[in-house]
Amino acid sequence: MLLLIRDKSGLAMLFIMPVVLIVISSLMQEFGWSSLTKDPSVQVLFVDNDHDSLGMKIKSGFKGSGAFEVVDSLNHKPLTSVMAINAVKKGDYLIAIVVPKGATSTMRANVRLSVAKTLAGFGLGNPMLVNGIIFRDSVDVTIYFDPTVKKTFKNALISSVRENYYKFQTDWVFKTFNQEIALQMPMYNPPKEAFKEVLRFKEEFPSYRKIELIRNATQHNVPAWTIFAMFFIVIPLTQSLIQEREGGSLFRLLTMPVPYMALLMGKVGVYLVVCLAQTIAMLLAGILLLPLFGLPMLVLGNDLPGLFVMTIVVAMASVGYGLMIGTIAKTHQQAASFGSISVIILAAMGGLWVPIYLMPPFMREVALFSPMNWAITGYYSIFLRGGSLWQIAPQAFKLFIFFLVTVSITGIYHKYKNPFNN
Amino acid sequence: MTPQPIINIRELTKTYKGAEEPAINSLSLDIFPNEIFGLLGPNGAGKTTTISILCGLFAATKGSVMIDGMDSHTDMEKIKQIIGVVPQDIALYPTLTGRENLTFFGNMYGLFGSTLREKVRHYLCEFGLEKHADKKVSMYSGGMKRRVNLIAGLLHDPKIIFLDEPTVGIDVQSRVVILEYLKEINKKGVTIIYTSHYMEEAENLCTRVAIIDRGTIISLGNPKDLLAAHPEFKNLENIFIHLTGKDMRD
Repeated sequence: MLLLIRDKSGLAMLFIMPVVLIVISSLMQEFGWSSLTKDPSVQVLFVDNDHDSLGMKIKSGFKGSGAFEVVDSLNHKPLTSVMAINAVKKGDYLIAIVVPKGATSTMRANVRLSVAKTLAGFGLGNPMLVNGIIFRDSVDVTIYFDPTVKKTFKNALISSVRENYYKFQTDWVFKTFNQEIALQMPMYNPPKEAFKEVLRFKEEFPSYRKIELIRNATQHNVPAWTIFAMFFIVIPLTQSLIQEREGGSLFRLLTMPVPYMALLMGKVGVYLVVCLAQTIAMLLAGILLLPLFGLPMLVLGNDLPGLFVMTIVVAMASVGYGLMIGTIAKTHQQAASFGSISVIILAAMGGLWVPIYLMPPFMREVALFSPMNWAITGYYSIFLRGGSLWQIAPQAFKLFIFFLVTVSITGIYHKYKNPFNN
Repeated sequence: MTPQPIINIRELTKTYKGAEEPAINSLSLDIFPNEIFGLLGPNGAGKTTTISILCGLFAATKGSVMIDGMDSHTDMEKIKQIIGVVPQDIALYPTLTGRENLTFFGNMYGLFGSTLREKVRHYLCEFGLEKHADKKVSMYSGGMKRRVNLIAGLLHDPKIIFLDEPTVGIDVQSRVVILEYLKEINKKGVTIIYTSHYMEEAENLCTRVAIIDRGTIISLGNPKDLLAAHPEFKNLENIFIHLTGKDMRD
């Protein structure tokens, strides 16, 4: 423990780095998403060559969403397609939308023809005439993106444009039907209410308990970075093991009446305390520090015993992993590079940064073998689903087995590859 | 009546993985209680390998070792309780103070509380380190580190002490303090097994010496007896050179 306390930079890495990561990630995620819902900070260049209903509808849809600031002129000049494309090309703007000339008239003509063809099927109108007419070619609403725009953001924007378009088209189809039927059947009395949406979309988060757990960046980031920080204990732990080996202290310890496994368990005990301290620091950061940055406060959930058990097994898994790497690695450099890179890979693979449902199918399968995935699944059970000991049991068990396996490998490796017996 | 050996080594052989030659080869030796026994030899002669096996760091390829009546194959944990080891390298934690190092190693020998505190204080005074007890070991001079390195092997009052070149690279004063102390504890009944490259030191300190080369004992006896057996040589160093040759060793 004293060795660790004296290692100021190691301690800074274990405690300050993850707190900084929690704050930055939560800020980015929380205000990143908020910017799309509250603060219209993303500017969209809008070129309306249609000058008719469709162009206006798409534009008003963007303005109404509150997520974007619509820009239709640059340097006091009305925006043209060329100006918009150049502005995106130069990186001045992220997105430009160009609604082509004749977009509304094409839609109207095709909708009218579609309605006429449908009614002709019922014997209304002149089937011979309408069946001979062909649909106009589709027109392209072009969206220009800066190459740095993320795929998810791009998809969200395209969906928004499509939604506006389909809503407008549905209204137009309905209106055209009424007009055409009224033309064919003078007695027809069109309904006063044009259309009533059938489906409403309601968000609910099923949880194991009736508790108020708010899904936000804090609830996601604190457990994720806590796990990452705990696994980063690999670095000081491996350095301590190698320093002990190279400095001769291990030589002395092995000549003392203490079994090697007892020495390992001594390390486990010390580093478990450090991991618990890290977790407390991260949770306190979530509760006390994040609100100072305008972020939501961390809600611990209702199951503190579950949280404690989960923390213990995650800590055991990370310490076991560190012992294994520190024993197998031959040099400080090997341990530091392999240790840090493997932790980053396990974190990425385990869904700490990108949820596993966004990964390709193969990666989703692989993720299930990452101890960090077991850890984050367990923590999310507590922090987001209101889970208890029973719900985290499978993940806790896997992490405990991982600890036993890594410690066993350490013991076996030491026995057969004794560093002094070569 | 010849006393029972406290260390009984029979046909001890150790071949490291991948090595063509054994590091020690069928080495047999008896060390008796209260001896200061010197294991002398050039680099790579097998001194450290022998001590490493005797203190349970790793097993021999062949042969047997009995220490104080206990078989090293079966009773190593018990043997470790009665031996003290002072490694060749400074086996201390540089970021801890001298006192913290000694307290930690004392704990490993099962010493705690006031008993340990008193022992640590006593040894620090004995070796002139009391003023520096609470400084980090990384700040110590070579001699001070050597002295703490020695104390760490003495804290639990071992019956047998293994010292692997305990005076290498230190000032004369520290060397004198260490050697005087070894003589003093030997008078109290502690058996000392000691390796060194300093022949004069061994000649003055040891009751018996074994000169080892290429894993086998090439000469064994009291330094005075060895000198008597080789009257053409003035001192142990000349005998050593005569027996092991002038070729430099890696």
